Amino acid sequence: MNEKIASNVIEAGLDAKADFVELFIEETRQSSVSFVDQKVETVNAGTEFGIGIRLIFGTEVLYASTSLEEESHLIELVRQLAKTRLNTPTELKREPVVLRQTTIPSQKIILDPKKISQEKKLPFLKLADEIARRESEKIFQVNARAFDVTSQVQIFNSEGLFVNDYRVLSRFSLSVSARNGNEIYSGSESPGAQMGFEFFENLDIESLALSAARRALLMLDASYIVGKKMPVIMGNGFGGVIFHEACGHPLETEAIRKKSSPFVGKLGEQIANPCLTAIDDGTIPNSWGSINIDDEGNLPEKTILIENGILKNYLSDRIGALEVGVRRTGSARRESYNYPPVARMRNTYIAPGKDKLEDMIASVEEGLYAKKMGGGSVNPATGEFNFSVEEGYVIRNGKIAEPVRGATLIGKGHEVIQKISMVSDDLEISAGMCGASSGTIPVTVGQPSIKVDEILVGGR
Amino acid sequence: MNLEQASYFLLEEAKKRNIPQFDIVAGISQSTAVEVFEGRVKNTEISHGTGIGIRLFLDGRPGISYTERFTKDSILQCLEDAISNSKLTDTLEIELPAPVELPNIDLQIFNPELEQTTFEELVNYAVEMEELGLKADPRIENAPYVGTSKSSGEAIFCNSKGVYYYRKSNSLSGWIGLTAKQGEQKKMGYYGNTFKSPGQLNTKYMAQKAAERATELLGAEPIPSGKYPVVFSNRVSGSILGMFLGAYTGEAITKGQSRLVGKLEEKIASDVFTMICDPLVVGMPGSRLLDGEGVPTKRQEFVSKGVLINYLQNLESAKKMKVEPTGNGSRSYGGKAGTTVSNLIVPLGNYSLDELLKMYSRCVLVTKLEGSSGCSTLSGDISIGVQGFYCEKGEKTKPIDKITLNTNYYDLIQNIEAFDNEYLDTYSSIKVPSFLIKEAYIAS
Repeated sequence: MNEKIASNVIEAGLDAKADFVELFIEETRQSSVSFVDQKVETVNAGTEFGIGIRLIFGTEVLYASTSLEEESHLIELVRQLAKTRLNTPTELKREPVVLRQTTIPSQKIILDPKKISQEKKLPFLKLADEIARRESEKIFQVNARAFDVTSQVQIFNSEGLFVNDYRVLSRFSLSVSARNGNEIYSGSESPGAQMGFEFFENLDIESLALSAARRALLMLDASYIVGKKMPVIMGNGFGGVIFHEACGHPLETEAIRKKSSPFVGKLGEQIANPCLTAIDDGTIPNSWGSINIDDEGNLPEKTILIENGILKNYLSDRIGALEVGVRRTGSARRESYNYPPVARMRNTYIAPGKDKLEDMIASVEEGLYAKKMGGGSVNPATGEFNFSVEEGYVIRNGKIAEPVRGATLIGKGHEVIQKISMVSDDLEISAGMCGASSGTIPVTVGQPSIKVDEILVGGR
Repeated sequence: MNLEQASYFLLEEAKKRNIPQFDIVAGISQSTAVEVFEGRVKNTEISHGTGIGIRLFLDGRPGISYTERFTKDSILQCLEDAISNSKLTDTLEIELPAPVELPNIDLQIFNPELEQTTFEELVNYAVEMEELGLKADPRIENAPYVGTSKSSGEAIFCNSKGVYYYRKSNSLSGWIGLTAKQGEQKKMGYYGNTFKSPGQLNTKYMAQKAAERATELLGAEPIPSGKYPVVFSNRVSGSILGMFLGAYTGEAITKGQSRLVGKLEEKIASDVFTMICDPLVVGMPGSRLLDGEGVPTKRQEFVSKGVLINYLQNLESAKKMKVEPTGNGSRSYGGKAGTTVSNLIVPLGNYSLDELLKMYSRCVLVTKLEGSSGCSTLSGDISIGVQGFYCEKGEKTKPIDKITLNTNYYDLIQNIEAFDNEYLDTYSSIKVPSFLIKEAYIAS
């Protein structure tokens, strides 16, 4: 969109007495190849295009989205939005909007996916299928998918901001299914990065395929855990999903401003065991959850959420900052032009400690080692969460014993963080997708291995 | 271009290129939504969406592509992308359906009256709901999720064989989430519904329902671990059964991704368990005359008195299994074809909920599920946090939480003993009454 049209639309919003007007223009290209049942099942490519217009009156947000880009249509949408407040446009004396283009630092992209044929993804998918199937005759199905997303984003606002951002994401996902009689189990891996085609070239496909296949086979023969409260060692990497869901979401100003979080009014207070420090960082180079700028045009930062158990910061966007009275943290995010931005996580992780995994295991007489977590969800208002364990082992007399399946962890986030008693030095982060009010966005979750002294484990 | 022009343009361009088989899905949608908090409008959203996608077959190889831009350039790019994508895929020898005469049924999924609902009315409904919810009980402390919305959509499906299907729908929705507090314990109660006429949105009823659901679980505590008879209330029965519908699709069967492989005409569930897919019910949201691939839909009992009668098929799975498609194909403009149940109906039983609760001297009544991540369509494993009531002799003795329910779907459907005689009052494409199972393991 050119600056003239953008300033005309913004001025229509200001004439309707809005305190702030913003335009978000997005053109996204998605390309994917799926290899299933030893066949190239789907090759898809598509273009998503649209414009989001946000008007802010005080702290009230009015938002419109459309795939039509004609100036007259956009100005009509601004008027429709403003009409919902029963305001009439005025001839206020105001300065014209002057847009100043800002250049931002971007992630280093070596091979732009737009310039690479989809065909080039095929060898990686076929290799994963071959390696996984070779592992055992019990492996009967492999579903491998490679996809990339490129987005050209423009953001304009009534404070004169004009910024262009080119965003590139690549992801490889793999699900391997094993069968033994009537029992079926699957293992999965799905790394991703803010990188171009070089992401696929640098992947260790063999290791990913073997990891997914071996997990499926291991869990296929695992017995069920007996459910009860017990100490749990949560493995590094995707284990961080618990912190993400149970503490990260309630620390977003979207929950705080609605007084719908156990952490309302707790800034500066000890909310967790002193061994816990947690961070949300939008600046890790090429990480899946990193951003060049947030969706309000702010540069990202490394935000300390909890330091030695003390709550230091919320994650905040423009509205959250206004309502909660905190600074903006470059965390405003949205799935697409269809959603107004709100404060969301980026790369969220628990900082490494000094403990060793082996010491943590040795400290447990009877418990669960949740080596790899599956998905989960949380009710931010009550803090109640639930998570599945994808790969788990019984801990007996300080040693890892037999694998167990069907385990679920439930509890309340603000209670569990007080029960984290040991944090190891083996930090890892993993790619995931996070769904909330502004849609589904790429994030990473991470942690070193941690010990929770007591948590309810569901089983049989 | 409007919806019809975009569809016609893509159809003609595909014909010009002598593409032997293709189908096109296009849609536009509009919605207005408002959220209120503390008596004021917090968010207003107006959205206009457009999209068109093509699936074509060249030498039997499928290629798909889509665009959200209704411009000639973008639609032509979409067509070229689909052609190019088809060169990489393996063959899929399916025959797209030809036009047939459709039954003359008004499915009543569009109500012109709803279009008259004004923004002010949406705001008033939401503000009133919030006010009533906060006053409903002294223990209600917050109303973080209250809103209303009005939406409408039009969709066109057409293919190279001459099938053309136009579908228009609209709805009005309201939702309210309240938190209640007692001591240090907080519970959330939520009620949301979708309506086919403006007069159906009863703010008082919705606020009361949400307040009841928030307060009824205050004071909840765990019960000892062990095996218990369990009643799934009609608030959760559709969710539990709905999670495993994927196992009944030909898609899952042909890929070995279901434990129902080879079980046709076998007894897989208890005698009282029947599941029906009925896309021709007037006024249900999933109702449609043609499926997402242009195949005429029909009512089918796919599980009858515990016996698996049929798998749900789209064109691809039907071809692979050498059977007729069952009208369960689904497709959005952006993706490949899948399989869906248009409306899922489990027939009502002969008992009241009170009678179900009395069938055992003690049981657990589940009214709330916490997520679904511990439930696997593939293995059938169910390990899920639940909340509800512990019941003795048919009476709700105390609210319960901090427990998980653990079983396997294939054991669960064998263990169903009875259904009650009432569906949940929400506008949904899933109708499942409350049901009782003999036992499941509760961990605490």
